[in-house]
Amino acid sequence: MAKEVFMPKLSSTMETGTLLQWFKQEGEPVEVGEPLLEVMTDKINIEVEAYEEGILLKRYYDEDEEVPVNGIVGYIGEEGEQVPEEKPGAGNDSPAPESTPKAPVPEPAGQEIEAEKAGGVRATPAARKLSREHSANLSLIQGSGAKGRIHAADVHAAVDGQQVRSTPLAKKEAEANNVDLSAVKGSGSYGKITRSDVSAPRAVEELQSEPLQGVRKVVAERMQKSANEVPHVTLHTEIDMEVAMELRTQLLPVIEKQTGQRLSVTELLMFVGSRALRKHPDVHASMTDDRITKQAAVHMGLAVATDRGLLVPVIRHTEDKGLAELAAETKQTAAAARNGTLPGKELSGSTFTISNLGMYAVDHFTPIINQPEAAILGVGRIQEKPVVKNGEITVGRMMAISLSFDHRIIDGAPAAAFLTDFKQMLEQPYQLFV
Amino acid sequence: MTQADWIWKEPKEKLVDWLEQMWTVRWFDEKVDEFFAKGMIHGTTHLCVGQEASAVGVCAMLEGKDKITSTHRGHGHCIAKGADPDRMMAELFGRETGYCKGKGGSMHIADVEKGNLGANGIVGGGIPLAVGAALTSKMRQEGYITVCFFGDGAANEGSFHEAVNLAAIWDLPVIFVCENNQYGMSGPVKDMVKIENIADRASGYGIPGHVVDGNSLPEVMTVMKEAVEYTRNGHGPVLIEAKTYRWKGHSKSDAKKYRTREEEKEWKDKDPIRFFQDALIERGIITQEEAETVKKETKAQIERSVEFAEQSPEPSEDTLLEDVYA
Amino acid sequence: MQSSAVNSSNDKETARSITFAEAVREALSQEMREDQDVFILGEDIGVYGGAFGVTRGMIEEFGPERIRNTPISEAAITGAAIGSALTGMKPVVELQFSDFITIAMDQLANQAAKLRYMYGGKGNVPMVLRTPSGSGTGAAAQHSQSLEAWVAHIPGLKVVQPSTASDAKGLLKAAIADPNPVIFYEHKLLYKTEGHVPEEAYTIPLGQADIKREGTDVTIVATAVMVHKALEAAEKLAEEGINVEVIDPRTLVPLDEQTIVDSVKKTGKVIVVHEAVKRGGYGGEIASMIAESEAFDYLDAPVRRLGALPVPVPYNPTLEKATVPQVDDIMQAARDSVHRR
Repeated sequence: MAKEVFMPKLSSTMETGTLLQWFKQEGEPVEVGEPLLEVMTDKINIEVEAYEEGILLKRYYDEDEEVPVNGIVGYIGEEGEQVPEEKPGAGNDSPAPESTPKAPVPEPAGQEIEAEKAGGVRATPAARKLSREHSANLSLIQGSGAKGRIHAADVHAAVDGQQVRSTPLAKKEAEANNVDLSAVKGSGSYGKITRSDVSAPRAVEELQSEPLQGVRKVVAERMQKSANEVPHVTLHTEIDMEVAMELRTQLLPVIEKQTGQRLSVTELLMFVGSRALRKHPDVHASMTDDRITKQAAVHMGLAVATDRGLLVPVIRHTEDKGLAELAAETKQTAAAARNGTLPGKELSGSTFTISNLGMYAVDHFTPIINQPEAAILGVGRIQEKPVVKNGEITVGRMMAISLSFDHRIIDGAPAAAFLTDFKQMLEQPYQLFV
Repeated sequence: MTQADWIWKEPKEKLVDWLEQMWTVRWFDEKVDEFFAKGMIHGTTHLCVGQEASAVGVCAMLEGKDKITSTHRGHGHCIAKGADPDRMMAELFGRETGYCKGKGGSMHIADVEKGNLGANGIVGGGIPLAVGAALTSKMRQEGYITVCFFGDGAANEGSFHEAVNLAAIWDLPVIFVCENNQYGMSGPVKDMVKIENIADRASGYGIPGHVVDGNSLPEVMTVMKEAVEYTRNGHGPVLIEAKTYRWKGHSKSDAKKYRTREEEKEWKDKDPIRFFQDALIERGIITQEEAETVKKETKAQIERSVEFAEQSPEPSEDTLLEDVYA
Repeated sequence: MQSSAVNSSNDKETARSITFAEAVREALSQEMREDQDVFILGEDIGVYGGAFGVTRGMIEEFGPERIRNTPISEAAITGAAIGSALTGMKPVVELQFSDFITIAMDQLANQAAKLRYMYGGKGNVPMVLRTPSGSGTGAAAQHSQSLEAWVAHIPGLKVVQPSTASDAKGLLKAAIADPNPVIFYEHKLLYKTEGHVPEEAYTIPLGQADIKREGTDVTIVATAVMVHKALEAAEKLAEEGINVEVIDPRTLVPLDEQTIVDSVKKTGKVIVVHEAVKRGGYGGEIASMIAESEAFDYLDAPVRRLGALPVPVPYNPTLEKATVPQVDDIMQAARDSVHRR
């Protein structure tokens, strides 16, 4: 019976071999051990010798062809024996052992061991075992070993109620001052003695607490709601206030004379902001019950810190008002808000809000939107900074500014466009006269 | 009439038996080569195709009580010392019925009952062991001799020199048989040894040394017969160098770049089996047909060994830790 | 414990006292008189009596056939012992210094340890390799090592490290009777130590630790010469009110884990001391075994190991001493454990 000639596995990594040359023609006699073909593997070229003697009956592969390991490349047999015309499927009678899939091992039934609560505590195995046996909480036991390591004796003492718990500093202080720690009442957690208990027992300041109520409660609820509901995005930029501040300096005496009020940056921002909003109705919008309303008149909310909490008094129709009027009304309203004399209706109905923290050392911050408005402007301080103007480094008066917007109502681009316009108007206020 | 002609006067059964043994060794290693090529046997193996005459010729001159230590290229020694090819093949397949219960593999087959103290994966590792076995024979006056097979490569190991010297000074009954197959892996003996014959080293230890044509069964047997007599009579060790050639590579993945195909052909023309077989036919001891029958039957025997091995069970994992300690 | 009768101090006054070296010789001689298959081979063991005089006088009694003086060929000596063991003899190799085990390592690691397993359970290698180990003789780096962890790592070998004359005798007789290759370490500084050794033949089974001193506060597991240092430390610590238990495993392979575990469960604190280099030393194995055992939950202090510094043993006596653990080091480790440091 004719015998197959296989592509041998010449290295543990070999998967295919390239048949480089045949040393025998079909029909030629072959002896055992005679080179039959040459094979190139990933490692080497090697001559494959015949294991059988007889006639090379068939060659299925030509030179330079790739053959899988154990693929039948030919047959050796006796003259006239029949062998397949076409090359048999590669390695179809490959003797490679089948990998018998192992039966899945069932996960052990979830017998959970209660996790040791005192995971971060340094304790010897013996101490841990004792604490388990006595249901003692290791985190409440003072370790007497190196670096506070709890030993078995510490657990015994704690279980017997003899242990005095103190901080290392307290222990040191007690030793220095000859104080018997067991006579000291600890003020720390679970009665732990701290250094202050040992050195100068002084009156502990009462911590004050009061129920959440009034303005605080309203602020809490509104902020919570807005932060929860509104997908906030905050854009930051810096505005060169050089010209605007110059303008303010010039108008300051004029307005003071007229109204008795000093023009502040806030009013400048309200003035410019109102005009920018009119130009950007997308930003000047609000959302209630899944309806987006584009606002017309600008009613500017002004975040004001009061003793009772954050209030947002509203200055109405700011788009129609000049700087003198704005200065007078804003100062008055804010004062009333602080005094608590502002009527309730003047605390609602705003269409846009400005929160100015510029009097503090704050640059950018991320204001929370005053619902249902679409956006809020956060104003930081004005600071002298090196800026590059016309290719030269000069000192600029830069104001940090942030715009938080409700991404449900508007997208980033219109918000950015508004902020850009707002910035330009402030940097070149003369264009407002155009 | 040469010195080796005595062999042809041996009974026909013996002569045929030696021919059978050589064919068995040849077919065994050819089969192993094939199975390695097919990936049916794992690990590595070292084949002695072409070296059959030294294995068979040496062991043929031994008695049943005599012992051998073997090498990594040891299938021939094992068969010649009377091992069962079934159990050898089973060992190569890693099966429970193998000589080592599947724990040794090609390089560690031992057949202690038949006096084969084991193949060895360490080059030169078995040489001191053979000396120890010979020491036992001498101390207990058991009368057996030990043959220590090793290769030309091992002759450069320190253990060779230490052990031969020890055997020499104690006049131990051990015959050191160096099968010089011309290459220690890829290292040609002519590059690795300065002297012409490894057997010349015998004089350095004060023992007799002989060079013999390792591909001639009659020559090997003749030298061996003399050495056995010398050693068994208490004269101490002998060093025999059998010059031969391994037809196959050192182990798998050997492209044999270190030697020429012409050289291989030269040696294959000196096929030890054909040499002996032709001589038997020429002398009318066996017919051409009888020779064919021996060849076919030995091949069929190896096929049966394969069948035995394939049908043998894998060793149980329960046996994993057995036999680390007695 | 097991050999308490042997170690009992009651009959010390009246009992016969001999040195460690004499005890080893007595065990060898008794075995050789009893069993013709037992013989010794090694360098200079004939009329010279061995490098440390252990075989002195034996060639006169047993003759050169059984006290085989060999050339300086550690691989061949060891291999010949293995081969003769494999064929029925019970050879005892004397390796002049345990440092030279490097030259015999192939025969030990690749042959003696593995033959039986590789051959599927056929054949035994009932041999013993005795060898002097340790520092303290000023012999410097190549003649002072403690390499027992090397052989203990190899499955198939057994490893014995006796600390007293009586243990040496009983353990050597057990080693010779054992059907496996046994590496038997004799610490050079112990050869001249004396102790009560019964004249009659007795064996101490391999794998039985001995509690050399009972105590309650801290366990010290010590081997070879460190057993004596640990006992000295224990005496001094007793004056400080620290009650030390000293355990001598006596054999590293097989290791009597239970005796060690039981002691640690009692004391909750353990120090492992050996002379070998601490890094990769057998003390790490003992410490890990304790941590993995049921004694873990009883540990009330970190397991401490004392061993030699990672340096070749220096020649200068002061430096040599500084290399290996001393009594003070053991005392300090015990104090640290007991005082929760």
